[in-house]
Amino acid sequence: MLEQIARVLCWLCVGEIAARSGLLPLPAPVTGLILLYAELAFRGKLPEDLGVLADRLLQFLGMLFVPAGVGVIAHLHVLKTEALPILAAIVGGTAITLFVTMVVANLLSVAMAKRRGQVPAKLEGAVSDANL
Amino acid sequence: MPTFSELTSLTWASFAEKPVLETGATVFAFLVATRIARLGGNHPLLNPTLLAIILISLGLEATRIPYETYLHGADVIHFMLGPAVVLLAVPLFRQRAVIRASARLIAVGLAVGMPVGILSAVGIAWALGAGPQTILSLAPKSVTAGIAVGISEQIGGLQTLTIVLVIMTGITGAVLGPIIARLARIEDQRIVGLAMGIASHGIGTARALQIGETAGAFSGLAMGLNGILTAIVLPLVCGFLGFAR
Repeated sequence: MLEQIARVLCWLCVGEIAARSGLLPLPAPVTGLILLYAELAFRGKLPEDLGVLADRLLQFLGMLFVPAGVGVIAHLHVLKTEALPILAAIVGGTAITLFVTMVVANLLSVAMAKRRGQVPAKLEGAVSDANL
Repeated sequence: MPTFSELTSLTWASFAEKPVLETGATVFAFLVATRIARLGGNHPLLNPTLLAIILISLGLEATRIPYETYLHGADVIHFMLGPAVVLLAVPLFRQRAVIRASARLIAVGLAVGMPVGILSAVGIAWALGAGPQTILSLAPKSVTAGIAVGISEQIGGLQTLTIVLVIMTGITGAVLGPIIARLARIEDQRIVGLAMGIASHGIGTARALQIGETAGAFSGLAMGLNGILTAIVLPLVCGFLGFAR
């Protein structure tokens, strides 16, 4: 297990070096993610311990956002002055993004399934929605 | 002889210097939030992250511990976000066969979701009269916080505001994702995960992981790719518009 923790921190560190030195315009964790994936793809198999570590940590991924999320109270005054446009943009924009992405991806998925000669029954409803 | 309130504020002030209070409170708040969410049948509106943030905010208000002190103390948890993002490679790798088979779906999802995400938010904020700095801070709202801060700085937004907006977007996407999937009658975990990762980064991914490993893997992949893509595209577009103006 210690080996796997070292592996993750090592790739994160490489990502940090790449970001700090200006080699890559990517945040360190994203570079680390890509490098870890590349390593796993190269090896062709997932070390059991790494799988356990990932499952344990990702189980409460939502908790890791709490400290930064509490920052909302430090910015309440900024948010208050432009509350309406901000809330409308976040709620409206996110809803539009989710809906459009889901519907377009679903249309493509159904079209590809059709070309293969199989139409999944549960997906038909979404197609008629998209045509409205 | 100090009064009771002086004594308690002194105690809190010194106790708050140790990370154990903030770390413990965050874990405990999230545990309570998870229990509440479970009691409510894991309804999307009972998002554990949102509940924990409210609990901690109320706690800070009651104890008068400043946010900076809390963030300093809870830094251990904040730090874990980095390794957690790296570990998203694991669900991706487990789903590599599915992801390879769905390459076109992912490409189309990103090609649609990324510009729609930016333009819808920027368009609505602009139409409702938000200032230019707010709009620029809002532009990378769907991108995972680590990347979004960098983008915000590059295009002239406020980093601190961007962090808050990114988290609000994440919670919104985590709450709305399953609801919109139900409305659009989409049961395909790949599509739900893809949209949630593109629209609401890590918080959406945390929610998508609850739906299933396939949804979580697609969400994590979409989050990563959307972050990389936005980091490349958004500063270029803003630069172009800046010169055009």
